[in-house]
Amino acid sequence: MVILEVKNLNVYYGGFKALWDITLSVERDQIVSILGSNGAGKSTLLKTISGLLKPGSGSILFHGERIDHLGPHDIVKLGLTLVPEGRKIFSNLTVLENLMIGSYTPTARKSREGQLENVFELFPRLQERKNQLGSTLSGGEQQMLAIGRALMSQPKLIIFDEISLGLGPIMVKHLYQTVNRIKQKGMGVVLVEQDVKRSLKTADFAYILQEGKISLKGRPKDFTEEEVKKAYFGL
Amino acid sequence: MLTSLEPLINGLLLGGLYAVIGIGLSLVFGIMRQVNLAHGELMILASYLSLVFLQLFAIHPMMTFLFVIPVIFILGYLIQTFLFNRVLEKGMESYLMISFGLSIILQNLMLLIFTPDARTLQTSLAIKSLNVLDLFNVPVILLVDFLTGIIVLGLLHFIMKKTYLGWAIRAATDDLTAARLVGINPRKVYALAMGIAVITAAISGVLVGMTFTFYPHSGTQYLIIAFGVVIIGGLGSLPGTFLGGLILGVSQLLGGRIIGPGLQLLSGYIILLIVLTIKPQGILGRR
Repeated sequence: MVILEVKNLNVYYGGFKALWDITLSVERDQIVSILGSNGAGKSTLLKTISGLLKPGSGSILFHGERIDHLGPHDIVKLGLTLVPEGRKIFSNLTVLENLMIGSYTPTARKSREGQLENVFELFPRLQERKNQLGSTLSGGEQQMLAIGRALMSQPKLIIFDEISLGLGPIMVKHLYQTVNRIKQKGMGVVLVEQDVKRSLKTADFAYILQEGKISLKGRPKDFTEEEVKKAYFGL
Repeated sequence: MLTSLEPLINGLLLGGLYAVIGIGLSLVFGIMRQVNLAHGELMILASYLSLVFLQLFAIHPMMTFLFVIPVIFILGYLIQTFLFNRVLEKGMESYLMISFGLSIILQNLMLLIFTPDARTLQTSLAIKSLNVLDLFNVPVILLVDFLTGIIVLGLLHFIMKKTYLGWAIRAATDDLTAARLVGINPRKVYALAMGIAVITAAISGVLVGMTFTFYPHSGTQYLIIAFGVVIIGGLGSLPGTFLGGLILGVSQLLGGRIIGPGLQLLSGYIILLIVLTIKPQGILGRR
């Protein structure tokens, strides 16, 4: 069942065209990977889907309803949550307060005790550090907190923007296991990464962006290494 | 030495009131990075409103809180929604201009309606004095000011630490983009933060009206006190604002006793300059 549809999206970023005619879709219980080198347009795409940017033309539909004109705070209420690049946790709030504010929307508040238990079960380290300020956490712990905070909003679709950035291999492995567990709970997942190998291994479907256009799409197991290199680097 | 005890204690008590005056300014700057130049006028407006309710209902000045606070809250919410929210993301100049214009309008409105005569909220609390151990005298009204200050700051602390509104305000202060991504609507949270700030202005306005005489132009001197409190104590810190209030209160009264009664304000400003020189971000400041 398709939950997110992007149709013919064109986005301009500061006077220059960042995305050209992007069309993609995500189903529930599916991990979709969006790959591309720096500057390919991944961040712009995610900012537009989450409502931080407005498209020039095209449409974005979530559960069949158009969301491309909505602000981020309304989109979160509908069940679409972004875990932003660079984690962006609240440094002056404690771990627990970060998670609590994650359940800010009215629907999320009702189920916050249960969700908190889920998050602590996924990330026991967060429970250990629950009264510590966000700024005192390590990079990996901050990433866990950012994911936990996103989960508190009861999302139906969760988008991860470069979660492995700056983290060691053990932490990355743990995070990807978590991503799979999240998929198993019935959510749709969009993974945006620069780490091509790992995300292609994890994803059910992938899109590769190059200079703002989709250069390759399909099921990762059907891709050849040649195809991926060409789509990624354009050589 | 013992003669210093009275201005010291009274300075601390006055500092409690000063802290409430400063916290409204600090809150708005913390979350919106803006300075509301009409803060003093909103305080004095509350003093005048209290006067009106006093004359209408013949109640005790402390009871006027019940009427004045909702009125000023609604006013603050409307000002944020219809004036300040229109220049969001347009930089400091627009906001400063609007708040400055607002202060002029409010001052002259109060001048028109209430005349330039000196006013005060009559209460026996302002005349009574407590004699402590035969060592010094404490005006009861200062005790009331201080206790109210503690209650207000305590309530604010509770809101900031334990409620969704408080977390939302702190989150938006920390990282506005991330706050939007958890579902916080900046306009709504700004309006609520402004509402809280004007409630503190209203409370301090009524207290000021009971403690001192006031005129339509009194807003300016309290705006300067608010600045002093925030600069000394540090922006973005509730305990800092409390500390700033205490230090300013003590500097004024103790300094006034030492260098001369007419130089109260000056001694406060001297301390302000010293803090700016040694620790410009304020004693407990974060920015």
